[in-house]
Amino acid sequence: MVGFEKQEREVKMLRKKSLAALVAVTTAMGLGVAGIAPAQAAPIKIGVTVYDMSSFITQGKEGMVAFAKKNNIKLLWNSAGGDVSTQASQMEQMIRAKVKAIIIVPVQADSLEPQLKAAKAAKIPVIAVNTTLKSSKLLTSGVLPDDVAAGAQEMTQMATHLGGKGNIVILQGPLGSSPELDRTKGIESVLAKNPGIKVLAKDTANWGRAEAANKVANWLTSFKGQIDGIVAENDDMGLGAVQALKEAKLKIPVVGIDGIQDGLAAVKSGDFIGSSLQHGRVELAAGLAVALKVAKGEKVKKNYTYIMPAITPANVSSFEANVVTNTAAFLKRLPELIAKNLKSGNIANED
Amino acid sequence: MSIASVPNTRWSNNNLKDLLLRNTMVFILLIIFVFFTIKNSEFATLGNFRAVLIAAAPFALIALGQTLVILTGGIDLSVGSIIAVSAMSAAYVAVNKTENIWIAASVGILVGTVAGLINGLIIAILDVPPFVTTLGMLAAASGFAYFIGNGAPINGLPEEWERIANTKFFGFQTPVLVMFLGFVILAIVMKRTSFGLQIYATGGNRSAAEIAGVNTRKILISVYVLSGFLAGLSGVILSSRVISGPPNLGSGYELGAIAAVVIGGASLSGGRGTIWGTFLGLLLIQTLNNGLDILIVPAYWQKVISGVLIVSAVTIDAILMRRSR
Repeated sequence: MVGFEKQEREVKMLRKKSLAALVAVTTAMGLGVAGIAPAQAAPIKIGVTVYDMSSFITQGKEGMVAFAKKNNIKLLWNSAGGDVSTQASQMEQMIRAKVKAIIIVPVQADSLEPQLKAAKAAKIPVIAVNTTLKSSKLLTSGVLPDDVAAGAQEMTQMATHLGGKGNIVILQGPLGSSPELDRTKGIESVLAKNPGIKVLAKDTANWGRAEAANKVANWLTSFKGQIDGIVAENDDMGLGAVQALKEAKLKIPVVGIDGIQDGLAAVKSGDFIGSSLQHGRVELAAGLAVALKVAKGEKVKKNYTYIMPAITPANVSSFEANVVTNTAAFLKRLPELIAKNLKSGNIANED
Repeated sequence: MSIASVPNTRWSNNNLKDLLLRNTMVFILLIIFVFFTIKNSEFATLGNFRAVLIAAAPFALIALGQTLVILTGGIDLSVGSIIAVSAMSAAYVAVNKTENIWIAASVGILVGTVAGLINGLIIAILDVPPFVTTLGMLAAASGFAYFIGNGAPINGLPEEWERIANTKFFGFQTPVLVMFLGFVILAIVMKRTSFGLQIYATGGNRSAAEIAGVNTRKILISVYVLSGFLAGLSGVILSSRVISGPPNLGSGYELGAIAAVVIGGASLSGGRGTIWGTFLGLLLIQTLNNGLDILIVPAYWQKVISGVLIVSAVTIDAILMRRSR
């Protein structure tokens, strides 16, 4: 198992490197104390550890960096590469580096309890963003998306489009995963209020386009001419459904969630009737804003909920500018927007 | 097969047995087919056959490569990840480097072929077991796929990209035609060329093949290169069909391909198996997926039913084979 040995060696090297970095940081801090007090206020150090560099997190980092620049924050950025134990050691490292607050975008919900306790003992506040942790009592605050609301929102978009009457099929996320459970719950809550809408079939396509395309192609056979709408729990599966419809030369309304680049394009072209936007730049920058407040000793709420804005054919162009085509302009006004949102409580607002 | 050596005492009985033995999978397939047709009248329609075929195509390509690899007594666990890394490279080139979709597609296929070549060289020259080599490639290629997309799917592919998989000839999409072409070409190669014979020989008994003058190293390298090439092609076709580059594309596909080959009657220890068998095995799995979807059987039950049917199909085959000896 040559590969694994190599991996292990790399991890060891990484550990050595991080140790060296730690020594450097501590020495620097020591010098800082010994030196003359700086004329300008020293930047506030805030540590961040994210599960991996997904497209959502890549966007989020842009938002955080923009907010940090405007607010004299020094970000200690770490990516755990999808590994729980890496995230744990990154936490420990940030505690030793005496940051003023730690932001976690967790790899896994039921992890990091010892590190949370260590942070508490060191009086370092911890904020969870995007996914909460099981030991949420040890968290100072959280900025979390409302997946139940997102599910309800997409089902409402579809119900409105169908005039409260018709047959639908539902494409679910990986069965048992928390966004799938929550989005399904939201969809069902709206279905309960719309007895005219009948679910012909619902099953998982594991967030994937290819799998969704095959599943929908098969459903189109079993319910020939009966399907009036396709509700997909994310944009990728919705785009797979669109592909199957194109192959069968049919036009049936499709709705998704997430507002990924291709999803926004689908709303614009009319392939989707709508979607819901989960914007990494806004969500993660809001997390940093909350962390800054905590670091300054201001009071914060235990939970901030990111309620995904509805994407419609009418507003899709402005969202597309913020997410894809004109991000530079959006990042420029982002710090002000985040400050305003934190005051109003609607942290997902982009106007 | 030693069917000819069975003494013909009772003609009619033996003829039936002979027919059954050689075509177990065809009969099982027919039974499943009849069952779904009775259950849902839409099953046996042209439109639905098209849906089965388009879903089968990406699996078919890697199952073809897998057949050759298994015939040499090896295994290729890396094809799922090679699909991903090829699709991601092609998507990356199509988005960032060139307007020409054919150049992007070629890059994707080339990446798959190179991955296959690396497998082949390590296995044939350094004598590392195929299971270990391709397991390593499974991990490494997947890692590269994520690296190319910076951990995320590649979005915003040019609309042109769709043309590769969604152009139709004679009423069928290109992937379906590529699949049929692949089956026909490889069936001929395996039956009629010395290259095919050498693959069987290498898997049947490597030292005997060496003595007989077969360059088994060359044969081993070429089957893994072919497997990588076909996985690359499969990746490009898949990413074109869904017009995106997801880094987890094709994950787990290797198991479906291996299952198709084994159901088709190939022996995992090499030397025994046919392209026709793989075709039947593939058709069995894909018909099952399609039919169960049409009957709205939940995904978790589909897994159970597929698992049970795969093992029983091979068991029936094995029992009949043993009786014939």
